[in-house]
Order: sequence, then C-alpha cells, then structure tokens
Amino acid sequence: MNTLDEICERIREHIGKVIRDDLGIITARDFQRFAVAAGETPGDVAPPLFLSSVLGWNAGPTSDELTPDGTGDEKAGLPLDGLRLMGAGQDLDFHHPLQDGTRVVRETSVENVTLKQGGQGPFLIITMLRAFSDDSGTPLVTCHDTLIARPEAAQ
Amino acid sequence: MTPESFEDVEVGMALDPVTVRPTTIQLFRFSAATWNAHRIHYDAGYAATEGYPDVLVQSHLHGCFLLRTALDWAGPRARLRRFGWRNRGIAVPGDTLTCTGVVTACRVDGSGAGLVECALEERKADGTLCAPGTAVLELPRRSPGDGEEVRP
Repeated sequence: MNTLDEICERIREHIGKVIRDDLGIITARDFQRFAVAAGETPGDVAPPLFLSSVLGWNAGPTSDELTPDGTGDEKAGLPLDGLRLMGAGQDLDFHHPLQDGTRVVRETSVENVTLKQGGQGPFLIITMLRAFSDDSGTPLVTCHDTLIARPEAAQ
Repeated sequence: MTPESFEDVEVGMALDPVTVRPTTIQLFRFSAATWNAHRIHYDAGYAATEGYPDVLVQSHLHGCFLLRTALDWAGPRARLRRFGWRNRGIAVPGDTLTCTGVVTACRVDGSGAGLVECALEERKADGTLCAPGTAVLELPRRSPGDGEEVRP
C-alpha cells in the first residue's frame, strides 16, 4: 500500500478538478424517508441536511466492490483504497429548498488535504466542496464536507 | 419557546434543549435512507475491530439532532441560512444525547433581514461533547426593513 504521504500527494493533484454528476430526479419519498429516519416530521420540502447526507445516488457498487469497512460510494474518484473514512462535520449554506420532482446536479471538488499526526497514528483531513443545484442552475445547497481518512484497522 | 419575531431575540437567550436517545433501529434506517454501507453503523462486531464499544451514531445524524434544536426553537416562519457542525466524540445506541444552544449574535443585513446566530452543542449524559455547531437563521421582522440596527 502507498504511504499516507503518497496518498496525500495524489489527492492533492485533484484539487480544483470539478466532477459534475446528474443525481436524477429527487422524489418526496426519498427525503421523507430521510426525515423519518432522523426522527423528524416528513414534509413537502427536503430536510436541510438531506442532500449532503446521502452518500450514493445511483445503484451503487456491488457488495464485493465495497472496501472492508463497507464504504464505496463516497470516494468521489479519489485514491482512498486501503483507508477508513469517517465524516468529521460539514459547513453548509442553504440557498433554495428542495422540492419533490427536482432534478439535482452536484459539482464535487477537493478543496484541501492535509496529513496529520494523531494519538492513534497518522491520518488525512480532506475537505470536499459539494455544490448542489437544480438542472436550471439554481443553487440549492453548498456543502464544505470534512472527512478523516485513516489506514485500515488490523483484522 | 419560539420567538414571535427577530426583535424578540437577544444575545444570550437559550434555545429549548432537545434530548434524543438513538437506537440501533434508527441507525439502521438512517444508513438505509442515506445509502451508507459503512459497517461501523450496523455491524457491532466490525465496530469492535476498530475499537468502538458498539455501532456508532452517524456523523450526519449528529448534525440532524443539532439542527433540529435550532429549527424547533426558531419555528416554521424562520429560514435557515447557514449551519455547520463538527464530530468530536462518538455516541452509541442507548446514549442520551442532549442538544443545547444559545444566541450569540443578532444583526440586520443590508436587505433588512433579521439574522440570528446560535452556538449549539450536543453532549452525552456524562457531559462528553459529541458535536459542537453553529446556525444562522433569518427570523421574521416585526417591521421589515425599517432600520440599520446592529446589536452585538
């Protein structure tokens, strides 16, 4: 496996590159299930954290394609194989509410990556920018997403 | 208690606390609704290999609990402008999580909108901080657009 230093540099090469994805048409059922699961009352508009919490928008990887920790959909094309990922928080700006039947487009890019030394060893802090808009370009949510990536635990 | 308007909010005002007790069923359904296959949220045996006492409450679910605290307090006429949180400590099913908040700033922007900033915290029953956060909410004005008032 590559060292974290090498992975950090490979991720750094992605800074500024924008990946544009059509997430398809979002239905009320999608975000109302999210609301119910979060313990909220489902409504006619999506809960504010719906778009930035969902990790996959298509059929997704097969079970065999998942990494040992079960992740697979949240890597945005980054060279994160062999690392455990955890969400560390988000900073969001809300522009317009998401309604039933909206086709959503997402633009994803790496904002920054840094290598840190912690009590349990080295880890990466990766900041991603995810900008969600509708298919006419109206912005919905802008999310700065912070992820922590650590080497896999011994099995 | 939800304020009637922006003019009824003052710095230092406490938000109504929200207490939740997540369950394994809630964690499973949240993972399903977000297409999150990360095993630390539903596979206690795997979570133990990473040193955790049980499956973990998802990062985003901590965010939902914190945000609910701000939105419930602000009421249905408020508009959420910004929100952010950080995951500082883990929580597992059965933990009692209490979210609190306090108003840290009130200001009127150039368009006349009344904006309230809140600092939020989610803590376990033993006081451990799980997630700090901040929210900016636009509250309805009693007299919209009538001033350049700025309060600390």
